[in-house]
Amino acid sequence: MRVGIYNQLMAMQANRREMLKGAAGGAAAIAASGSLGTMTLQAFAADSVVSQVMKIPGAGNGSPTDADWQKVGELCLGPTKETVQPGEFKGVEFAFMGLNNQNLHNFLFRGFLKPWEAYTGAKIKWIDLAQADYNARLQQTIASGTVDYDIIEMGAPFEGDMGVKDLLSEMPDWVKKQIDFDDYVNYLKPPVGTWNGKIHRTCIDSDCHTMNRRTDVFSDADLAKEWKGWKDQAGLSEWGPPKTWQQVQAVTKFLKGKKVKGKEVWGFLDQPKPWGGFQFYFTASRATAYVKYPGEKNWLFDENMKPLITNPGWVRGIQDVVDLLPYEPADQLNADPGTTAFQQFLTGTGSLLEWWGDIGTVAKTSDTATIGDMLDFDILPSSDDVYNFRKGQWEKLSTGPNQAPNMAYLGWGIYVMKSVDSDSKRHKAAWSAAAHLGGKDLSMWTAAYPSGFQPYRKSHTNLDLWALAGYDKKYIGSYMDSQSTSYNHANSAIEPRIPGIFQYYSIAEDELTRVFAGKETAQQGANNIAAAWEKLTDKLGREQQVKYYRIAMGLA
Amino acid sequence: MGLSVDGGKLEVLQTHPSDASAELGRWVFRLASAVLILVGVLQILDATGVADFGLTDWRPFLYAFLLWSVALGAHQVLTRGEAGQQALFVLPGLLFTLAMVIFPTLFGLYIAFTNWNLNGASSHHFNGLDNLITLWNDAYFWNALGNMVFYVLSVLVQYAIAFGLALLLNAEIRARKFFRVAFLLPFMLSPVAVSWMIGKSIMENRFGPAATLARYLGWEDPAFFTSPWIARTSIALMDGWVWIPFMIIMLLAGLQALPNDVKEAAKVDGASAWQMFKAITFPLMLPASMTAIVIRIIFELKLADIVINVTAGGPGGATDTVSSYIYRVYRDRSDIGYGTTIAEVYLILIIIFITLLLKATSRYMRKMV
Repeated sequence: MRVGIYNQLMAMQANRREMLKGAAGGAAAIAASGSLGTMTLQAFAADSVVSQVMKIPGAGNGSPTDADWQKVGELCLGPTKETVQPGEFKGVEFAFMGLNNQNLHNFLFRGFLKPWEAYTGAKIKWIDLAQADYNARLQQTIASGTVDYDIIEMGAPFEGDMGVKDLLSEMPDWVKKQIDFDDYVNYLKPPVGTWNGKIHRTCIDSDCHTMNRRTDVFSDADLAKEWKGWKDQAGLSEWGPPKTWQQVQAVTKFLKGKKVKGKEVWGFLDQPKPWGGFQFYFTASRATAYVKYPGEKNWLFDENMKPLITNPGWVRGIQDVVDLLPYEPADQLNADPGTTAFQQFLTGTGSLLEWWGDIGTVAKTSDTATIGDMLDFDILPSSDDVYNFRKGQWEKLSTGPNQAPNMAYLGWGIYVMKSVDSDSKRHKAAWSAAAHLGGKDLSMWTAAYPSGFQPYRKSHTNLDLWALAGYDKKYIGSYMDSQSTSYNHANSAIEPRIPGIFQYYSIAEDELTRVFAGKETAQQGANNIAAAWEKLTDKLGREQQVKYYRIAMGLA
Repeated sequence: MGLSVDGGKLEVLQTHPSDASAELGRWVFRLASAVLILVGVLQILDATGVADFGLTDWRPFLYAFLLWSVALGAHQVLTRGEAGQQALFVLPGLLFTLAMVIFPTLFGLYIAFTNWNLNGASSHHFNGLDNLITLWNDAYFWNALGNMVFYVLSVLVQYAIAFGLALLLNAEIRARKFFRVAFLLPFMLSPVAVSWMIGKSIMENRFGPAATLARYLGWEDPAFFTSPWIARTSIALMDGWVWIPFMIIMLLAGLQALPNDVKEAAKVDGASAWQMFKAITFPLMLPASMTAIVIRIIFELKLADIVINVTAGGPGGATDTVSSYIYRVYRDRSDIGYGTTIAEVYLILIIIFITLLLKATSRYMRKMV
């Protein structure tokens, strides 16, 4: 869980009556909800490890400290003790490379692993990296064959870079059992986390784009009245949050120039400015409902890695951005995703925002945020029709509008390097450390407290566990419902974890900015992106890239 | 070396090495050179896969080079005596330049003709003129180069402003020392900080003071980075904010070095302030002005930080610079080969441009004199 969410939720607990009120109200809402409602009844013993760790430090006791992390690590040592003898790894020393963002990630890992080191006798050398240095350091070590770490915290998109060089160790069965692999949400199961059929990743996080919505705007009575007379409603007969991209377009056009409680409001906020490759995730989220056909794994490339971005579905997604920009704030063209979320949405500009599952919830406690808790969450919008690239035609599904949440970035994981495989003691030690960090009880704590990680297990949807940490069930129910619905969606869009995937994204960003600035049409831009991607595929080695693509997408 | 006074003349006595030490020096150098060549050959054979010596990196060659450098110094002293000792003062700098400037430039030239991409399935190999052909057809490069023309021309505007301010700071005004320091402050700030303070705060569309002022002046919905010309001008303004003080320093130094007698003579002859500026100050300041402009243009051609931070080259490449484009090719795309091609070609273009500029300015100045 990100610090912002934690702070917000903690702040929400300041008033116990409010919490109880919220919980009571939330119970009805959650009971009525679909997938999540069934998860609230999972049992856990009152004295179980998870119930103990969820109270550390507990609501109102400030942010967790190193002492808390160590306490959690100590309490969660049970599974390790079942597989490792005390002092079994004495003399083993290995290097762990990870991030130091917001003083989280590696800082937590140190605390969690300190009791593990004391018990097993192993020693860990830490390599801390800033986010901005991470990709360059990773690519350089891979390309130059100078991997100087035994365990790495890594995002799933880089699995291809590591996998093709055969640098990763395969997860042993005992680890799979120890971490309760089956508890992972569906989309984090193979092929994600695997390469060439071998499992390499211990999950510690998950990622997906969801929709953050302003409840005050979509419950405003004056707007509701005006909406009745609005021509293009795109099927949204009653004023409320849009459910399809067509409705997002209509609502955003409607909201231009409107005011709520005397303040100017805007509809959806696009993120047109390049962001080191990450902007492409946002354009992709605009298009997945149009291009991710149910039952079809390919949506960005076909099975031969021919770009699909030139098809009418993608072009419509790009065109939607172009069409909507005149109805967004004047400087939107120069807004990157970070600006859009933290400087615009949280300060009251915009009422709809696609972002990772956490950002909207910072609203209540951030000093610069002004939207308070007037927020709820939903899966990404659907589309009335979807483009079937196999048939080359638009289709309306008998099941209704097409939903296709974008699992952008696929979350962080812990990976063990193959260099430890030759020494059975080091091998077991490294995997034991990874299993400890990816342990089930510990994961519930990282989901609930500031850690930099989002929920990633089915068991994380157990709201009673969140309540143990003092969370309001209504609020966390809405949050978790948007997350779990996306995670477990049958038609989620999974990106190809091929080598150099961020090069593809970066090239696309450059071209898209030209389209958004009106220098070329959406179709021309898409054609140029496709041509540049083809060239890049040739440059990186077409035969290999196609092979890796199929492996990554589970087509091989 | 020693000093001797002979018949009232001071002479520097050079000591000469013996034949034995000279011979030793030659052998030390030959041996070190042989080691350097041997290690170099082994490294190349290992790197190209012809043989496997288990070398994981190029450190052995680096150590051999350091050894060779020490041997070269010893060789100088042992074979040339005092003259060799004198050479030792220059050699470290020379060898450092060779290792850190000359070699990387030449190595870069080699890299520029390879397809080296960190994500490539195979290792890098020579790809002939492919990168140059790609560059020739690269719309992003030509767009950025076109933008550089605008940015370079903006230096002339910066020069005019800097000259005016330098004249003011050179005049007998109150709190002159304070203003001299105050005008230097923007130059002391990091361009990254300027990007955030000005580009992302003061010029922010909703709450930025510049936007508020623009609204007050009648610009209904001010956006400084969404239309090409306004965005480009906004970047040039921020860039000017940082660099005008640099030109002020150079011009102020020139103004203070002007001979007073010429100005006083003009005053006595009844010349007006404008006549004095036009006929005396400006022509006499030409050398200082040309130096300031040329140096500033060289800096301008490397403009990247403000663009990367504020617009990322947008909207639609309107503010992109060659350096910020190279940055994207390297950092976001790990395309070492092509990125180096752009950098090397750009270096050559800069050298040609600056050479022509220097020639033109010297011809112009000769004409003026």
